[in-house]
Amino acid sequence: MEFVLGQLAGFGLAFAALVSDPLTYVYLVASVFLGICFGALPGLTATLAVTILTGFFGNKIPLDYALIALLGAYVGAIYGGSYPSILLNIPGTAASAATAMDGYPLARQGRGAEALGLTTTASFIGTLVGTAALLIFVWVLLLISKNIASPEKALLALFGILLSGTLMSEDLPIKGWIAGLIGLALAMVGMDPILSEARYTFGWSYLLSGVAVVPVLMGAFAVPQIIEGMRHVKTGQVAALKGRILPNMAAMRRYLPTIGRSGVIGTGVGALPGVGEDVAGWVSYGVGKTVSNEGEQFGKGSLEGLLCSETANNACIGGALIPLLVLGIPGSPPAAALMGAFKINNVIPGPTIDPEIILRVVAIMVLASFTMFIMGLFTARIFIKVLRIPQTVFLPLVMVLTTIGSFSVGGGLNDLYLMLGVGLVAYVMNLLRYPIAPLVIGVILGGMFDETFRRSLLLSDGDLSVFVSRPGAAILLFLIIALILGQMPMAKRALHRLKGRPA
Amino acid sequence: MDNSPDTAAQDLRLLRARDFWSALALIALSLFFLWKTLDIPLGGSNGAGVNSADWYTSAAIVPLGLFGALLVLACVLLAISIRSGGASEALSAAGIGWNGREVWRFIAIGLMLLSYIVGLVPRVDFILASGLLITALVASFHARPEPRALVPLLAIAVAALSALVMHFPQSEWARHGDDLVALALLVALTLWHQVTGVRGRALRLTPLLAIGVPLLLVCAMAFGFRQNVPNRGGLIFSKIEYTYYVHLRPIWRS
Repeated sequence: MEFVLGQLAGFGLAFAALVSDPLTYVYLVASVFLGICFGALPGLTATLAVTILTGFFGNKIPLDYALIALLGAYVGAIYGGSYPSILLNIPGTAASAATAMDGYPLARQGRGAEALGLTTTASFIGTLVGTAALLIFVWVLLLISKNIASPEKALLALFGILLSGTLMSEDLPIKGWIAGLIGLALAMVGMDPILSEARYTFGWSYLLSGVAVVPVLMGAFAVPQIIEGMRHVKTGQVAALKGRILPNMAAMRRYLPTIGRSGVIGTGVGALPGVGEDVAGWVSYGVGKTVSNEGEQFGKGSLEGLLCSETANNACIGGALIPLLVLGIPGSPPAAALMGAFKINNVIPGPTIDPEIILRVVAIMVLASFTMFIMGLFTARIFIKVLRIPQTVFLPLVMVLTTIGSFSVGGGLNDLYLMLGVGLVAYVMNLLRYPIAPLVIGVILGGMFDETFRRSLLLSDGDLSVFVSRPGAAILLFLIIALILGQMPMAKRALHRLKGRPA
Repeated sequence: MDNSPDTAAQDLRLLRARDFWSALALIALSLFFLWKTLDIPLGGSNGAGVNSADWYTSAAIVPLGLFGALLVLACVLLAISIRSGGASEALSAAGIGWNGREVWRFIAIGLMLLSYIVGLVPRVDFILASGLLITALVASFHARPEPRALVPLLAIAVAALSALVMHFPQSEWARHGDDLVALALLVALTLWHQVTGVRGRALRLTPLLAIGVPLLLVCAMAFGFRQNVPNRGGLIFSKIEYTYYVHLRPIWRS
């Protein structure tokens, strides 16, 4: 109890410092607004919003304000994706795909305003649930993580990449693993961290300092989106809204257990390394459909179904920040972009992170969720107008934004060449159904994996048993092996036999 | 959208045919990088009486593992593809879902982006270069059921090529000959778009967006965030910067 009170006191101080600074509101309102617009525009994603703002604000303003801008955009974009899901039946972001299942039928029944009011409230509560978990669990995990040494760090990075590859792959999990390995391989470029040996630079001096994270993020997330989106798409008919967008308090009270459960699921999924808000939304929706008494109504305009996905995808944000802040492993693709912002500010997330930063992140999340709630209720009509902007007009502007953002982070043209190269490769990978998130996570964690893996061997004089002799490392190694074996056809068949179903 | 089982099966066959080629490319790539990794010393070596790293701290050990794993996974993917009939489909253009229109769309956008990043951004004024890209992309694809990318692609490619030919070395990037070519092409492309484009608000707004957005961005970055911007000596930006520092800034500085 004393621990929780101490945490709340620390949070209170950080919150007071934040609300007493007038500049906070400028960055917060602007970034949440931009985030909602990015989420609302089909073709733009939350990851892209955070990535582009990283290019703009990452190292140009103090880190405190940069965090306000990035977290505000993150919270806003995940929420903003619900607008086109409900009104157009087109998910604005992958995170809102499950929202469309019940949101659009509700809008067609003339209950669009009610659905938007509910998603606004559910997103607000979901963000707060995730943030509360962040405040409490990050400290518990930080205490544990003090005992994490090089072998655990190396295996954790590998586990994160493999898990992300397995869960983010739409096709074969092996494709996710390949994408993760390509990311890891990209991170090997440049001077190695222990012996300063040049690797794969091909005589290009720019590569000696390694592959820069921000151009990779921009290339991997923005360029394929632009190439894919530049096609003629008939803007759908926006469903008409009747009445005001207000939270339906009776429904909120009725579905409070659903909201609580979805918040917990969203936070839990977010805490898994590299697994994003889309997975959280679908898992929560699936669980809701299974356990709810109204399960058969899911997909036909169920308020409960809507709340399941929208609460979970926003709760996922707080969850995704837990592994990022505690271990330096991003919990979702937008968190990977956030990691890029930390890196260009020379802040290394992990056990040695300044606790003040964590408290500030929590305070920003709370303020951002309030801002999102107020904007969602009072300025929703503006965001509905945004839905009508065709992507063939805004995507070229995004390309220019991306270019100047990427250029200004490193200040060089080489970053732009890298961005374009990664972008074209990422587009081809998208076509072949290789997920991009594991690649980016591989680039981010590659340096850590290389250094900690070799340091473990150095300290043990090349004895590989260092990866099984420590309990934490042994558990992680077991999880990695189980994850790989679990995808083998033989293991799958055995599992199905155990369940009594044919494979 | 057709979601019938037949279509799903056809899509899966198509995907496996593509997997066949991607697995082969990955095998070639991992073999190449395994060979390149052999250049990095693996194992202890003595130089001038100093014992350097052992095999387990060698800079090659992790890359060897990575590319080895990539090779194995690529072989597994190849086996999956062959077992699913991907190999036989892969040898025909139709088998991998070759769609002429999509290929042209990708080539056109790819070349526009390449012209912009490699040819224009380093050498031509950022406002003009970005204006040309925005106009080219909007003119090619907005509201056109059939993309008309040839003229916009030619405009941006000619601007990029002339910039590369006229001012290739970095010492010449501040010169304005290529800026004037880009400006002329931007005006010509804008006129072509206004004549041939589909009537509507987007058509009217395109010239404003094409110049206004890059102008706003470059000014915010240079004067707001005090950051470096591409080609400071460009035709328009150099004038803006001069006016800002010589005429405007002294007003509030004094």
